[in-house]
Amino acid sequence: MDESTDFVLYDALKNRINNGDFTGSIISKCQDKIIFSDNLSISNSEEISISQGLIVGFKDRDSKLTAFSKKSDFSWKNLEETPLEYAVLISESIMEQYNKEQFPFPFSISLCHTAGLYLNNNRGEIDHLDFFKDEILKNPVSLIEKGIIMSDRVVINEKGDPVFYDCIIVGRDTEDEVKVSYEFFVNVDDKNVLFIIILGTEELNQ
Amino acid sequence: MLLLENKEQKLINTLKFIGSPFKKFVSTGEIREDIGLVQSRKDFLRNIVTIVKGNENFILPIIGEVGQGKTHLYWALKNILYDYNTVYISLETVYKKFYFRTYSEFIESMAVSYDKIDSEDRLEPLRNMTKQLCNKWGPQERKFGFFQISNLEKTKESAFKKWSRRYEDKDALKDVITAITAHQLEPYKKFKAEQWLIGELMDVKDLSRLNIKHDLRKRSHAFTMLRVFIENSHKKSLLFLDDFEKILPIQKPMYESVELTEDIEEVFDPRWFGIKQVPEKYSAEKILDKILELHKIRGLKIIITFKSIEAIEELKKKIGEKNRKLLIMLKKPLVMSDFIEEDLFQFYKENLEIFFANVNYHEYPKFFSNSFFPLNENVLKYIFREARGNPREVIKYLIKIFNEIIVSNEKLEDTLENYQ
Repeated sequence: MDESTDFVLYDALKNRINNGDFTGSIISKCQDKIIFSDNLSISNSEEISISQGLIVGFKDRDSKLTAFSKKSDFSWKNLEETPLEYAVLISESIMEQYNKEQFPFPFSISLCHTAGLYLNNNRGEIDHLDFFKDEILKNPVSLIEKGIIMSDRVVINEKGDPVFYDCIIVGRDTEDEVKVSYEFFVNVDDKNVLFIIILGTEELNQ
Repeated sequence: MLLLENKEQKLINTLKFIGSPFKKFVSTGEIREDIGLVQSRKDFLRNIVTIVKGNENFILPIIGEVGQGKTHLYWALKNILYDYNTVYISLETVYKKFYFRTYSEFIESMAVSYDKIDSEDRLEPLRNMTKQLCNKWGPQERKFGFFQISNLEKTKESAFKKWSRRYEDKDALKDVITAITAHQLEPYKKFKAEQWLIGELMDVKDLSRLNIKHDLRKRSHAFTMLRVFIENSHKKSLLFLDDFEKILPIQKPMYESVELTEDIEEVFDPRWFGIKQVPEKYSAEKILDKILELHKIRGLKIIITFKSIEAIEELKKKIGEKNRKLLIMLKKPLVMSDFIEEDLFQFYKENLEIFFANVNYHEYPKFFSNSFFPLNENVLKYIFREARGNPREVIKYLIKIFNEIIVSNEKLEDTLENYQ
């Protein structure tokens, strides 16, 4: 487990900002969405930009909430403008562990297009957990009350709760410091989950 | 309460009920042998293990007469070299598809050594190998900083570029690379690619779906796959080729052997039709060429067995004619000696101990640990003299005597009278 706070590039809550051009594996929380990217720049004038990141979340489509993932460039002129809550550069040791533990299990389900597995917010609810009970789903991304889980696979256990395997967890501790950890598996009560989105391989391959 | 029990009679009765401890006098490459070696053979085995561990590519000839225990030695080697893929091929039966057969044996051995032959996990070493190769070949991109995406075409190109200099048959290499990359990077082809990789025969439809020209029945494909497997396997590889003289000219075809044909009026000889080389010689020659070709596989260690020292000279001559450089690979032959008297005593005792332990007759080690009962030292010495120390002959005698003890209604002393 690596709990160093050195890789927090930006934290709006703690007024922490590190200027520079960063490359690697970066997770940014952007309101109720998540951005994955291999770069992030913070200029001296506090302009934040991400080139070719993948934004994941729910959006309105025909007055219905639909999960999406989209490749895009992002740029915010100053801190007042930015909707980012935090941006974290994940350490290489965690990434190596994460990559090492990925495994093409037989009978695991990969979706072609990004879809919402679970959504629990004030605008409505999507719950396909029972439908996928005891199945293995590849490439889940989840927003929990205080954090983010990105993992290689998720299994819905017999209680209908999601169990994430090979996961990177980003969250805030009791002092509201942003922390990152790697876990082989994590069991989450679906009551604490805001959403689980299964990323489509087509979107990743774009 | 039973105060005095006739332990000896009880043991004889037990034998009459469950049968003889000595049944099999021929070891085969298929049926596992767990009985260890006698002391003099242990030193011999140690010598072989030292050569195996201390050298990369070599051919080590082992000479032992018929029944000397050469195949049993294979099992002893397989047991002691647990971190090796050790494979047995008898040249008595292999004349066609030598590389395919050898590769299949390696795949089989990998599954058996994994001890999960019925399980899905048995192919795990092969899967790990293909995964590692793809990781090595394919510059896997981390898209958006996190998601590992492989570019199939780039991976194949990079693999071919890295290996094409070392492999002569480019078509075979392309097919092998295609199968390995499909196995790891194309989920919808994974199952068929795995079938191809384990050497299953495939029809044109399956092959075209995989975009592969031939399955492993094709010689060059089987050789390339064998090479890829051995050079990239997690374990080192040892090939045990039994009955090697079968492919040397010293072994005459049936119609040339006077001993075999003296009672037969006439035997067809293909040379009547003007064919210069008889089919046996032609096919033996081909097998020898194929075996010598194995020197290209980095790290493959080969043990070959002969019944006589003359065959070694013949082999040296043959190798010299084909490629003198390969003579360096040929190690000094090791000769399997006969049993000494002590070996026979040890062999007899160990066999009985294992036999009675297997049938849960726990009184044997308790009451007979210091005796040779139901035989005695004189009988064992008689067997040793008659068998002239040949292990197979020794076992044959033991089978005969134990069968007599079991079926005879005579007293044990009377039965043993003829063998002292």
